[in-house]
Amino acid sequence: MKMMFRYELKKVFARAGGKVALFLLLLLIGITCYFATNVTYVNEQGKTEAGPFAVSRLKAMQKEWAGYLNEETIQRVISENKKIRTSPEAMSEDVPLKDIAYSRGQGIQEIRNLLNCSYTAHFREYDYYRADSLSENDAPAFYSNRVSLLAQWLEEEADGLFSEEEKEYLIGQYSRLQTPFYYDYMKGWTQLFEYAPTIIMITMLILGYLISGIFSNEFSWKSDAIFFTSAYGRNRAIRTKLKSAFFIVTVIYWAAVLLYTLSILLYLGADGWECPVQADFSGWKCFYNITVWQKYILIVAGGYIGCLFISSLGMFVSAKTKSAVWAVMVPFVLIFIPSFLSNINSPAVSKILGLLPDQLLQAGTALNYFTLYTLGGKVWGAIPILLVIYPLLTLLIAPVTYREYRHKEIS
Amino acid sequence: MELQISNLTKKYKNTVAVDGLSFTLSTGVYGLLGANGAGKTTLMRILCTLLTPTEGQITLDGQDIFRMDGEYRKLLGYLPQDFGYYPDFTIYDYMMYIASIKGLRPAAAKKRISRLLEQVGLSTVGNRKMKKLSGGMKRRAGIAQAMLNHPEILILDEPTAGLDPNERIRFRNLISGLSSNRLVLLSTHIVSDIEYIANRILLMKDGKLQITGTSEELISSMPERVWSITVPRESVSTYMQNYPVANVKSMGKDAELRILSPRKPAENAILEMATLEDVFLYYFGERMNENDVSL
Repeated sequence: MKMMFRYELKKVFARAGGKVALFLLLLLIGITCYFATNVTYVNEQGKTEAGPFAVSRLKAMQKEWAGYLNEETIQRVISENKKIRTSPEAMSEDVPLKDIAYSRGQGIQEIRNLLNCSYTAHFREYDYYRADSLSENDAPAFYSNRVSLLAQWLEEEADGLFSEEEKEYLIGQYSRLQTPFYYDYMKGWTQLFEYAPTIIMITMLILGYLISGIFSNEFSWKSDAIFFTSAYGRNRAIRTKLKSAFFIVTVIYWAAVLLYTLSILLYLGADGWECPVQADFSGWKCFYNITVWQKYILIVAGGYIGCLFISSLGMFVSAKTKSAVWAVMVPFVLIFIPSFLSNINSPAVSKILGLLPDQLLQAGTALNYFTLYTLGGKVWGAIPILLVIYPLLTLLIAPVTYREYRHKEIS
Repeated sequence: MELQISNLTKKYKNTVAVDGLSFTLSTGVYGLLGANGAGKTTLMRILCTLLTPTEGQITLDGQDIFRMDGEYRKLLGYLPQDFGYYPDFTIYDYMMYIASIKGLRPAAAKKRISRLLEQVGLSTVGNRKMKKLSGGMKRRAGIAQAMLNHPEILILDEPTAGLDPNERIRFRNLISGLSSNRLVLLSTHIVSDIEYIANRILLMKDGKLQITGTSEELISSMPERVWSITVPRESVSTYMQNYPVANVKSMGKDAELRILSPRKPAENAILEMATLEDVFLYYFGERMNENDVSL
């Protein structure tokens, strides 16, 4: 079995295409890491800096504000922001002076973004300058605004999009967020989350290419006749093909994800892992009450399940059509077609799109979608449903692929 | 060992590729002969369980080969007409992989591969990639893989196709050497190959078996006699219209013809010894040569 397995892997990686695909994956991970770690800091003279020193300076400034975002801290942030915005440098028309003012506000920059979200007039609005017009007296409403803005939106703009149970569920989820929550520097995580879908999708496309020929190449190489006349050609050898494909998906996926994660976190730091996702501007509206590290686990686990499912579907197509071309198209279709369909403004379409496997490849983004499903009288977000149905579908497709290939006739 | 084929039929949409074949094969070398499209490859693929028959049954010592599944394939060695391989594998890797799917343990596989590569003359190029091999070398690797599992049933579909004369002779001798104590069924375009290797010949036409027997039995069963006759070149077309002509040899203003006829076609006709090629001509009703006859 080991020998069979080893040679199945060799069939994939001995090809020039296999080697090029791996090199391409490494290159694209490298490029993505470069962009993800390209964090800048504006120094006291208003000059923009980049590199490890800039990261450590930014981190030090934001770390000064780490702690529970209680009323007192919010008041301090509002006050600090006001001080910076009303300083002569900020009021000046001179850009370098404005940059000096900006440099002073980098420590509270992320909390300031949260203020913009919380104190906005409408739920779906974002006003970059809203924090500048706040007074310390506004601080108590920081958390309650989040719930009231949602309730207002559900009653007005989004009326008809959700059932009463769904509205209740969303408000309940918002209310259940433990406040005051803990804030910390989390640039490492926010950058990691931003580029994670890119990394996962690139990895999926490369994996799709690598495994597209596992079944069909026997036909294109015309080695099918000898394969199927061997003692294990219609049983163990097919199972070994499936095992080797899942092994390739598993090893390459986790290697890519770990390489990416380590590159980002070692460079930008892993601080803030215990904060709730709402402690960052990008997760403020998220109705899943999870922490940053839980979000990370969801993103990478979702990506893995998505890759497994799409790969197994690709393998089925490869076995069914005897064509690597059709098989390699599977990930492209599953990743890119939903993007086109998302322009259709229909709640029913949104609900369908919310359950497509591409959502697993961008679970971090999907966490922010208000796509809800009522099952058995209970309201669910898309993420838990996706995490259940796609492993099951993957388990279902593998034996179907086995049967399909086992009964292939060679005429 | 007895491989019994009973009422075997394979139908495609509008074609009957194999039409109610019934015969029995046991240890020995069988040559399968027929024109292109006669159904030889379909028959061989059914015998290899690559195709399922529309009707009929194949049993090995009383057991249905399709029900035997892997147990039957353990006894099988097959070299297809269109021999495919893994282009980026070395010969050694290729053999090791095939050994693994044939169920050989790694240690046994290594010994067997070493011996077979020696036998087929590839031991010095074991680390060469399959895609870099010449046509003859690929065929030799093909026969080596077919022999990996010591098959009791060896099926070779046109094993000498595309080989130059030297390679062909070498390959023919190789098959002869490997054929003892097993059932070998082979087809080839080269008529002489069958005469050299096969103990019995199965003549197939339109999916049916026309006749079976040894080379001598087939020749003696032919009701026509074979004549050679020298005629002016302008008369050649007349003879070709009236008789099956096995050969035309130009001799200046004249031509020497080899003709099949029950009666003496001309005064100067000389009675010749019939060959297997003459038998093909008789059964297929056309001139049999290396280009248009499958054996």
